[in-house]
Amino acid sequence: MTREMPNKLEGTIDGALELLDRQLLDVEGRMLGKVDDVELTQTDAGLTITALLTGQVALLHRLGGSLGSNLVTGYVQLRPSEKNRTRPWRLVIGDVERLDSALHLRVHREESLRRDVETFRLGALTGMNVLEPAGRRAGSVLDARFAPGAGGRLVLRALVVGEGHPGGLLGYDRRPNMGPWFVRRIVGWLHRNTSAVDVEHVQILWNNREVRLVSPLREIRREALRR
Amino acid sequence: MSKVFAVALGVLTAIGGFVDIGDLVTNAQVGSRFGLSLAWATVVGVVGICVFAEMSGRVAAVSGRATFDLVRERLGPRVGMLNLLSSMLITLLTYTAEIGGVALALQLVASVHELLVVPVVAVLVWLVLWRAKFSIIENVFGVLGLALVVFAVAVWKLGPDYGALLHQAVGAHKPDDEHWRTFAYYAVALFGAAMTPYEVFFFSSGGVEEHWSPEDLGTMRANVLIGFPLGGALSLAIAASTWLVLGPLEISVDTLGQVGLPVAAALGKVGLAVAILGFVAATFGAACETGLSVAYSIAQYFGAQWGKYVRPKEAAFFHLVLALSTLLALAVLMTTVDPIVITEISVVFSAVALPLTYFPILVVANDPDYMGEYANGRLANALGVVFLGVIAVAATAAIPLLIWTRMGQ
Repeated sequence: MTREMPNKLEGTIDGALELLDRQLLDVEGRMLGKVDDVELTQTDAGLTITALLTGQVALLHRLGGSLGSNLVTGYVQLRPSEKNRTRPWRLVIGDVERLDSALHLRVHREESLRRDVETFRLGALTGMNVLEPAGRRAGSVLDARFAPGAGGRLVLRALVVGEGHPGGLLGYDRRPNMGPWFVRRIVGWLHRNTSAVDVEHVQILWNNREVRLVSPLREIRREALRR
Repeated sequence: MSKVFAVALGVLTAIGGFVDIGDLVTNAQVGSRFGLSLAWATVVGVVGICVFAEMSGRVAAVSGRATFDLVRERLGPRVGMLNLLSSMLITLLTYTAEIGGVALALQLVASVHELLVVPVVAVLVWLVLWRAKFSIIENVFGVLGLALVVFAVAVWKLGPDYGALLHQAVGAHKPDDEHWRTFAYYAVALFGAAMTPYEVFFFSSGGVEEHWSPEDLGTMRANVLIGFPLGGALSLAIAASTWLVLGPLEISVDTLGQVGLPVAAALGKVGLAVAILGFVAATFGAACETGLSVAYSIAQYFGAQWGKYVRPKEAAFFHLVLALSTLLALAVLMTTVDPIVITEISVVFSAVALPLTYFPILVVANDPDYMGEYANGRLANALGVVFLGVIAVAATAAIPLLIWTRMGQ
């Protein structure tokens, strides 16, 4: 143990000296960044520290002057499609436990920073295991089929379920009579058990990273894979 | 018992770990041309490194924060970034020189072309940094580096006139055929070699790696105050033996093989074998220390998880920097540049960068908030300020002297 220091959050502190650029440590003592900047919000009591900011954008802004703003511009230009890139990562002040020679959090570093809302992802859906109601593995999700719903937006309709053999994304199992014949036969044989399962027969368990069938795969009227 | 063992091991490691490719080459070059007349520069450098290593170790033990963590806190992100860039440029240069030094040492045995050895060494260093435990890295190479004591044995075997050597060292009697400006240039180089900034980056980060606490201050001080001066004595032995054997023949040192010549002359094949073992261990250990120092400092600036005390996947950024800097060092060496030249440049530029590192350490070691009753006392502050002055002079003079003497020609 290093020298015991009082918790500075319980007294008066000078922000630039005692808070900025201090090491962030999570609840297990793992390092997750520096206090690159501090968020202030106007409340009834006055300007209040509501969050700590960390990450490249907050740091680059603090380099100051034209260097700082040029670097921020450059950083954004590296990926123009990413809208939130100028927004730094945020760490709510409620997650901070104490401040001494470092800033100690009460949370794990994996769950400390927020930028955008958590959403489900297609990349997480494909590859999930598909389980029979009894729990036996029926295969895995190879693809997801979407169709325009009300308002014209694409809505999930079915999951393509099969053994994860190679060639699933070559297209032979979805398109009729794609050549050459020899390849079609091999891929077709590898994917002979692949089928599309309507979304009403499945239950997606995102946290467990698995898909449960409502009724056994044999009893489900399977849609034709070919469209 | 284990306390005694820990102190002894730490001291041995500090002795072996003190000498790296910069010390080997610079001391042999100086020895062959100036004898012990520049011994004072080594002595001043050793005292300086003791003063600041003790401070940085104390800060690490008391606050749990390593050097670059605090450099950014005290200098702000902007100046801190400039400091990081220049310090890392020099430490990377040193890292390159150390890897090249291992290759040169292995080449002395294997007679395989250096360019074939370099990639193997780089991969080995990277594997050790990735897989080996911190204590292994620190202790094994440090203790094996003690093989360099063979230089002291060589001096004894050569049976010199100790009175004359002492007279030369104490009076700083420069040989008449050398110019004062080269004398000053090599003084700065020796100073840079002894006080290389990576030593405190490594030392303070190592303290955090090993979870030092204020109770470990005694052990830490013993390591620094006994180990480093003995390492400095080893440096002087290299200079003395080179002077005794190469000085009369007017041979100047341009290769690592020539550094080993005095030992071969005094002790024959077996002595040379031991010396080469010492070369490999000292340079390999220093390669690990400099490589780690680069990754420690960069991760500390950004606050990313660093250290060998967590599994590599917990400190992915740190290990990425380690891999990339090894790759960069390898790329530089593969241009067929002479590692000895890189070494000479790195020690001089180390002297230039000294204030960047040592000034923030001196400030933080005085911070009552961090240090409480462990803050610098009067002695540490007096020495710190004096050495800051010496460092400033060396840093200012380094580049003009480099140009004026055409790298000590």
